Amino acid sequence: MNGWVRWAAPPAIVVSIAAPAHAVRYLSVEQAQKVAFPDATRFVEAHVLFTPADVASIERRSGQKVRARGQQVWRALVDDRIVGFFIVDYVIGKHLVIDYAIALDPGGQVRHVEILEYRESYGGEISNRSWLAQFVGKTSRDPLELDQDIRNISGATLSSRHVTEGVKRVLALYDTCLK
Amino acid sequence: MTPVSSSVRRAQPLLGTFVGIAASGAPRDALHAAISRAFGSVADVHHLMSFHEGDSDVSRLNREAASWPVRVHPWTYEVLRLASELYEASGGLFDIAIADALQRLGLLPRVGADPPATAGARSPEPPVELLSRDRVRFTRGDVRIDLGGIAKGFAVDRAVATLRACGVPRGLVNAGGDVAAFGPEPYTVDVRDPRHPGRILLRVEIRDEAIASSGHAFDRVAGGASMAIVDPGSGRPAAAVRGASVRAPSCVIADALTKLVVLAGQSADGLLARYGASALLVPCGGDILVSHTWAQGVRSAS
Repeated sequence: MNGWVRWAAPPAIVVSIAAPAHAVRYLSVEQAQKVAFPDATRFVEAHVLFTPADVASIERRSGQKVRARGQQVWRALVDDRIVGFFIVDYVIGKHLVIDYAIALDPGGQVRHVEILEYRESYGGEISNRSWLAQFVGKTSRDPLELDQDIRNISGATLSSRHVTEGVKRVLALYDTCLK
Repeated sequence: MTPVSSSVRRAQPLLGTFVGIAASGAPRDALHAAISRAFGSVADVHHLMSFHEGDSDVSRLNREAASWPVRVHPWTYEVLRLASELYEASGGLFDIAIADALQRLGLLPRVGADPPATAGARSPEPPVELLSRDRVRFTRGDVRIDLGGIAKGFAVDRAVATLRACGVPRGLVNAGGDVAAFGPEPYTVDVRDPRHPGRILLRVEIRDEAIASSGHAFDRVAGGASMAIVDPGSGRPAAAVRGASVRAPSCVIADALTKLVVLAGQSADGLLARYGASALLVPCGGDILVSHTWAQGVRSAS
C-alpha cells in the first residue's frame, strides 16, 4: 500500500491541544420561544411548584426521578388564545449537562425539542451543581458568542438518551400539572 | 428595522445524538426558518431509518422484506442503493445486514422473534435486492438490517441540501461528529483523539465537504461496549484500528467509509480513491497514518 504516509504531528502539540470541557450556548430562552412559536404575541410564565403528590405522579408516569422542586413553564398566546406550552428543563448525563426547551402544542404533543446550552466534561466536576439556577434569568440581552470560540468536533458521538428521558418526565409533568 | 445578515447556531436531539446546525449570511429570521426546516429533514431521516421505531422503513423491511418486496421512501432506497454499492466495492465488508451481530453484542435491542443463528455462514450474495419503483427485498430469511453506519451521514447531507434550498449561503451540520460544511468560507472542525477522548488530535478546515470519525472512544455506547463497528466476517468488533476519520465530498460517504477504514485499515485506500475521499487512521499501536490527499487544508494545531 503506497497510499498512506505517516502523519507527523509534533507530539508536544498533540499533548497540548487540551480538550477542555466543551460548552456551547445555542439559544436564549427568548430566542427559543420565538423559534418554537413564531406567531405567538406573548409568553406568560408560570413557575409550577410541585406538591409531593405531583412528584409522585410524575415519577410514576415517567419512570424518571424528579430532581427539581418545580418547573419553568410558559403559555404561548396569540392574543388570549393558548397555542402551546414552552417548558425549560435540564438533564445531567455522565459527561454532559444540558439545558433544553420543549415546545408542546395545546394538546400536549411535542412540537420539537431544542437544546439551549450544553456543557461537556470528562472530569465529573459538574455532577452536583444546580445548573437551573445558573440558567434562570438569561435573556436575549445576554451576550451571545455565536461562531466565536465555538468548536465543531468530529468524533464526539454523544448519546441523547438523557434528553429523551427528560422529555418523558416533562410530558408526565404536562399530564399531572398542565392538562 | 433593516434585516441584517447574521449567524445562528442551534441543536436538537435527533438520530440518538445531538444534531447541531449553524447557518450564516442571511437575516436572522430567515436563518431560523431554514434551520427549522433542516432539522425537519433530519427528523424525516430519523423516522425512516431508525432501527428502534416500529413504523420506520427499516423496521418494516426487517419484518416483511424476507417474505415479499417492500416499498420504501426514495431516501431509504437511495441509502440502500449506496449500501449495496459499498457492499460490492468492499467485497462484503460494508454490510448493513449485521443487526443480528449487533444484537448479540447488546448494541441493538432484540425485537420480535430471532432469526435462526447463522454465524460463520455468510453468503457472498448481497443481502438486499433492489427492485424497481423503490421496492426492496431481502435475499435470505435471516437478514436484519441496521442503517446506523450510514444514515447519520445521509441525514447531514439532507440537512445541508435543505439549507441550500432555503437560500442559506453558508452553513455547517454536525450529527454527533459527522460534519458537513458549505459556503464561501471554511469551517474549522476539531478531530477528537480516539486514544484520549478528552483531547483533540488535530484541526481541519472544511468547505463544501464532509468529515466523519469512528473509533473506540468515539462510539462509546451505554452499557460498556466500546465500539459499534462489527466485522461481518467474524461477528466481532473490529480491533486492529483504534479510530479513523474520513473526509469526503458527501457526509454519507464519509460516514460509511470511516467504518471501512476501521475494518480494512490501509487496504481501504482503493475505496477512498474511488469516492474522492481521504482518511486519517489511528492504529492500536504505531504511527498515525494519513492517505495522500488528506493533508490539503489540515492544520495540526492552534
